[in-house]
Amino acid sequence: MAPAPTSTSWDHEYNTLRRQKLFTDPPTDRSAYPLLQIAVDPHIESFDAIFEEGGLLDNGLADIDTRTFLDGDDRSPLASRNRLSIKYMGVHVQKSQVPPSNKFAKNREIFPAESMHPAQLVARKEESEELGGYFIVNGIEKIIRLLLVNRRNFPLAIERPSFQNRGPSYTSYGIIIRSVRPDETSQTNNLHYLNDGNVTFRFSWRKSEYLVPVLMILKALVETNDREIFEGLVGSPDSKGIKNTFLTDRVELLLRTYKTYGLYTKEQTRAYLGEKFRPVLGVSETLSNYEAGTEFLRKIVLVHLGNVNVTEKQDSDKFRLLLLSIRKLYALVAGECAVDNPDAAQNQEILLGGFLYGMIIKERLDELLSTGVRTSLRDYFRRNPARTFTSQEFGKDFPMKIFQKTTENLGEMLQYFLSTGNLNSQSGLDLQQVSGFTVVAEKLNFLRFISHFRMVHRGSFFAQLKTTTVRKLLPESWGFLCPVHTPDGSPCGLLNHLAHKCKIMTKAVDASAIPALAAELGVVSTSSAATDESVPVMLNGRILGWCKPAESRRIADTFRYWKVEGSHGVPLHLEIGYVPASNGGSYPGIYMSSEPARMTRPVKYLPLEKEDFVGPLEQPYMSIACTEPEVVSGESTHVEFDPTNMLSILANMTPFSDFNQSPRNMYQCQMGKQTMGTPATALRYRTDNKMYRIQTGQTPVVRSPLHNAYGFDNFPNGFNAVVAVISYTGYDMDDAMIINKSAHERGFGHGTIYKVKKITLKEESRSKNTKGVQKLFGFAPGVLMVQEGDVICAWHTVTADYSGNLVNRDGQTHFEKYKDSEVGFIEEVRLLGSDTGNEPAQTISIKFRIPRSPVIGDKFSSRHGQKGVASQKWPAVDMPFSESGIQPDIIINPHAFPSRMTIGMFVESLAGKAGCLHGLAQESTPFRFDEENTAGDYFGHQLKMAGYNYHGNEPMYSGITGEELAADIYIGVVYYQRLRHMVNDKYQVRTTGPVVSTTGQPIKGRKRGGGIRVGEMERDALLAHGTAFLLQDRLMNCSDYSRSWICRKCGSFLSVQPTVSPFLTKKKTVSTVRCRNCAVRLDHMKDGELAKITGEIWEDGQGNQWVGGEDTTLVAVPGALKYLDVELAAMGVKLKYRVDPKDATRRGPLIQTKWDGLASGRKADSQQPALVAA
Amino acid sequence: MEYDTMMMDNESSGPSVKISEADAIHVNFELNNVDLSFANSLRRIIQAEVATVAIDLVNFAANSSVLADEFIAHRLGLIPLDSRGADQMLYSRDCDCDQSCGKCSITLTLHASCTSDEVMKVYARDLLVGADRPNVHVGNPVITDPDGLGPLICKLRKGQELNIQCVAKKGIAKEHAKWSPCSAVGFEYDPHNKLHHLDLWYEKDVAKEWPKSKYADEEEPAQEGEPFDYDAVPGRFYYEVEGVGSIDPDAIVQSGIKEIQTKLASLIHGLTGNDGMNDIYDGPRSPDADMDGGAGWQTSYGNAPDQGWGGGTTYGGQTSYGADQNGW
Repeated sequence: MAPAPTSTSWDHEYNTLRRQKLFTDPPTDRSAYPLLQIAVDPHIESFDAIFEEGGLLDNGLADIDTRTFLDGDDRSPLASRNRLSIKYMGVHVQKSQVPPSNKFAKNREIFPAESMHPAQLVARKEESEELGGYFIVNGIEKIIRLLLVNRRNFPLAIERPSFQNRGPSYTSYGIIIRSVRPDETSQTNNLHYLNDGNVTFRFSWRKSEYLVPVLMILKALVETNDREIFEGLVGSPDSKGIKNTFLTDRVELLLRTYKTYGLYTKEQTRAYLGEKFRPVLGVSETLSNYEAGTEFLRKIVLVHLGNVNVTEKQDSDKFRLLLLSIRKLYALVAGECAVDNPDAAQNQEILLGGFLYGMIIKERLDELLSTGVRTSLRDYFRRNPARTFTSQEFGKDFPMKIFQKTTENLGEMLQYFLSTGNLNSQSGLDLQQVSGFTVVAEKLNFLRFISHFRMVHRGSFFAQLKTTTVRKLLPESWGFLCPVHTPDGSPCGLLNHLAHKCKIMTKAVDASAIPALAAELGVVSTSSAATDESVPVMLNGRILGWCKPAESRRIADTFRYWKVEGSHGVPLHLEIGYVPASNGGSYPGIYMSSEPARMTRPVKYLPLEKEDFVGPLEQPYMSIACTEPEVVSGESTHVEFDPTNMLSILANMTPFSDFNQSPRNMYQCQMGKQTMGTPATALRYRTDNKMYRIQTGQTPVVRSPLHNAYGFDNFPNGFNAVVAVISYTGYDMDDAMIINKSAHERGFGHGTIYKVKKITLKEESRSKNTKGVQKLFGFAPGVLMVQEGDVICAWHTVTADYSGNLVNRDGQTHFEKYKDSEVGFIEEVRLLGSDTGNEPAQTISIKFRIPRSPVIGDKFSSRHGQKGVASQKWPAVDMPFSESGIQPDIIINPHAFPSRMTIGMFVESLAGKAGCLHGLAQESTPFRFDEENTAGDYFGHQLKMAGYNYHGNEPMYSGITGEELAADIYIGVVYYQRLRHMVNDKYQVRTTGPVVSTTGQPIKGRKRGGGIRVGEMERDALLAHGTAFLLQDRLMNCSDYSRSWICRKCGSFLSVQPTVSPFLTKKKTVSTVRCRNCAVRLDHMKDGELAKITGEIWEDGQGNQWVGGEDTTLVAVPGALKYLDVELAAMGVKLKYRVDPKDATRRGPLIQTKWDGLASGRKADSQQPALVAA
Repeated sequence: MEYDTMMMDNESSGPSVKISEADAIHVNFELNNVDLSFANSLRRIIQAEVATVAIDLVNFAANSSVLADEFIAHRLGLIPLDSRGADQMLYSRDCDCDQSCGKCSITLTLHASCTSDEVMKVYARDLLVGADRPNVHVGNPVITDPDGLGPLICKLRKGQELNIQCVAKKGIAKEHAKWSPCSAVGFEYDPHNKLHHLDLWYEKDVAKEWPKSKYADEEEPAQEGEPFDYDAVPGRFYYEVEGVGSIDPDAIVQSGIKEIQTKLASLIHGLTGNDGMNDIYDGPRSPDADMDGGAGWQTSYGNAPDQGWGGGTTYGGQTSYGADQNGW
């Protein structure tokens, strides 16, 4: 009998033995944590979609048109030139392996992580649950972000003031259709409403925008006439639409203004379009204008309805969709339908990494033909003018030589994209940003790592928007995007995370049966502009037909029943966006979609009690009950499987999050990702630049079943701590927390940082590929512990002597030093060569292990957004203790609770305490308790059974006096996380240190021992506070204090100089300082004056003798002032300083110095006596 | 009336101890007729100042296990070692020897290398205790499990080796928790809250929401309408000492008491005796007291007593901190 397959069902229990078994004997059939793989799947599947049969690349190649090249002279007639047509037939991807030049590799294969079972992965030194979905570029794990983009193939009614900037008479109304080709590239089509009722079609091509009258497009698509267009927009003459004069007036005008072009037939219009857009599209000269016009329609207009070998039927589909869009636009203008919100999940889908990657490949391949081969051919014929395509030589040269010359390097481009996240594209790929597509998948801890895969970004374009509308949490995103898990600060609301049950479709589902079924259900092809008469039925942006609004509900319900039932060929993952007719609401209709990149999520369909998948477009019009009791009979069609399905993976890890004030749960989602946890189990085989690891990780006592299902116990993220909520010493003020010293000594919160330093001997010059050994390393034997300044290794240059031995000739040894200020241990040394295997191993990678036990100032947090800083390690005997002698590991202040309202933490404390007392793992899934069955009662009862107080309080005694504390203390067990912010990485302090040479002020930067700037605002605060001494201390004495000589008389720093005595040696000189400006040079004096000299004669460095200039003094000034003086002097501005007691700043009000004040009968108690004293 | 006579008895006989329960790791006792401060001192001493022996220094000759050196060293430190007769040992700092010797330390060696395919578990019993020690007990790892293995130190795989030499020293838990002889000390008085030191919080009913104290039967609960005695002080203290195995629980208490006695003796000695002996060097004193004739209360700053603070010289290129002014 074969052994039972590895179980994948998990409850909330500890499952210690089961987990141990999974570690010691990794399963050989499948992972025990399938949810993890499901979380990452959208990424992997989107990449799989590129290369599979009929995948994105195949579709993309079909879209790239045949390129035709001409030989001969450009001026000669077309007919006389030979044509060469090139078309891509297929792309083959080589199996990834170590380059064949590497003779040393034992195994050339590179394995994808998927398709291997855990035991194999472990054998290959990977994580047992290695998920894949990311790239390793230059040793860094990179992941392509998921992006939110507009829903595809759906006319969105938009009101945007910026539309008015398109030109005169443009209004803010428009329709946007993001039309997506089968290869997942897209082309956005816009319709604009003009003041006079006209409509223009706008698109952008290669980052430039073009406007075309919409009628021109309509007439080019099919052979039509004005009546057909009129009826297509308004409805048949017997419909209600015809009575809508608002509409008919505008359609009439639309048709009339178009007359000026004088284009009537399809042929004329296409030729006209072709002529105008020839240069824009860059079509071959061999095509006629009509054909170019056809190309235009194929490439740009509603490409989702046909982009390869467009048939007449497809053109007619495009025609009909365009008519509907115009109809919707007029309805929008008339106020008959509401705008669609492009910021709501309802009108959004997700651009997957693989799809973007496929787009880049496609564009690069296109570029290779249109630019690469073209220039290469031109070069070829310039060099060999005599040759033509038909010549024999060309036949020999053709594929190889021509393609060798092309500069396109696909692999390098892709690597550039992955490592920088920058998109280097001619077309812009119909995206709103050019950078920020990739992010580093940081392995700080497992929560952070897994979050990267569930992260959805709105686009960096929106990050610059001043408005907050795009960041708002909208009800439409319920169940698709987590309402809790978004960072606060600048990316708030733009960087969201998928709800953990949200699934992203990566493949189209088979909806081929739908059109026939729709027809059976009564969908007809005639329509009316009045939405109360007929509403559209669409599938993937193609109009299947029209039906009466009353019937639309029945049709949608029937489809849904079939879909959940799995009958009639209606796929389960089909989205049936039934928008009911309403008074001025969204434009009604049935919008079905079977395409990839949609979000979808499971809910229970009540009529069949079966799983149904709903999408964001349909969800707002459905009645989905959150819980079974909330089901309203006759109204609710669905019920949630679990209310926690709307939360992301991380948000689900917060215990009892429904008890907390909502922002606290958001904070926890942030802090969970900053926790110093366990980044990986294969730590030994990793060389990340920096890794944080907690030494004494534990599994939380209080956890939800998802904790196990996602395998978070493989990567412990914190520890259970006994926490007392008490204001004990004052050291717990302001979110500080006291740590029990004994707990600390027993290993509480101990952690380690692994840092990897690479030292290379390779010359930086890339020109010569040095194959010989030129430098050699040397290591001190057995040195494992290093301190600041210790030598890690040494090297010297070597050359080979006659016998081939490498010897050092210059006798110089270079040292590489350990620069960190902390003690580190050398964990591992690796020798690195290169992938190609043709270079000597000249680089070493050293992994340092830096132990970090908690110190005062390190940051900790519970799982409820309650972070705090360790303020003291309090001796255990002085800690409060309970009657049984239990002392808290952590003391936190009760003031942390009233304003933050993290009741979840209280409940966790209760549950943790009860769990410890009974040896239970406590279930902490949110929304499990209600007013009748409260958490307090549930856990209180457990506590009571264990002989404890029902409410979790305990009498405690002061450790210092032994007296019973006047209040009973809330004490329990809470899971704590140690955050990666540690004072050791942050403290910045200096008394003296390095200064900037020009100003004498302290340098910037913590790393270099610089100071913290006392800036303007700090200065203002000190001034306002009246702390003048402190101000002077900061700004002068501790900064650029300098003493300088100045001339009292002329008030200059720059004219003073020390005298030089010709008789004394330099060292003994008691030099005095004289002002050169005020002194007189002896040899410039007239003879008569010489006799009258008073004062000492002094000599400058050049031997000139001077007299005078003795009125100098030493003053203390900021160094920057002198610098300013010099700079200004260089510009010819002189600064004069008055150095005189008279010039000292006046204190107090200006008062008359004359004594007649008294005489004139002034009050005797005025301030004059004081002045007299002065 | 028995209660009264008992009180009388006790009052006359001074402090008394009543042991209610004792086994290999626990001792529960009741201390009567002492002050709260004394009772708490005893608790504090038991918890923090009873000397035991624990591994303090680890020399790694080889460690190819998956655990880091400092991590194993930390684990070894926390392994309880038999500390019976630890009073025969000297504190390492008081010993005359250079590094360590038989008087102040015990050497434990551990050499394990795994040669089989099975994962090898290294337990505390694998620690070999050196012969040079005061008595045959002290320094032995405490092993209480039925298999006689002791705590697990680490696991080794094929080819991995652990070769270490540990030095165990005497110390107290005040310095490091590894020297703690007990895991917890329960302490309680006034089980019926007659003294009202504590204001018990309750929602509806105190009796229902608060569990009865373990010692509730030992004392009479407050009678209905009994007047509150403002002068009452706690006099009966209930202890529950749980040892970790290094010292027997009764010995923990006894050495605790001995420790208090020593402390009090030295205090009394310090207060009474100025008998002209060398007490200048006894006990705590302020750093500069009577050293160079300066007044003890004065803080000298930067070796410039007459200069006041922040004198002119500090305004130079360097601030006075760390400059060569031999300030402490």
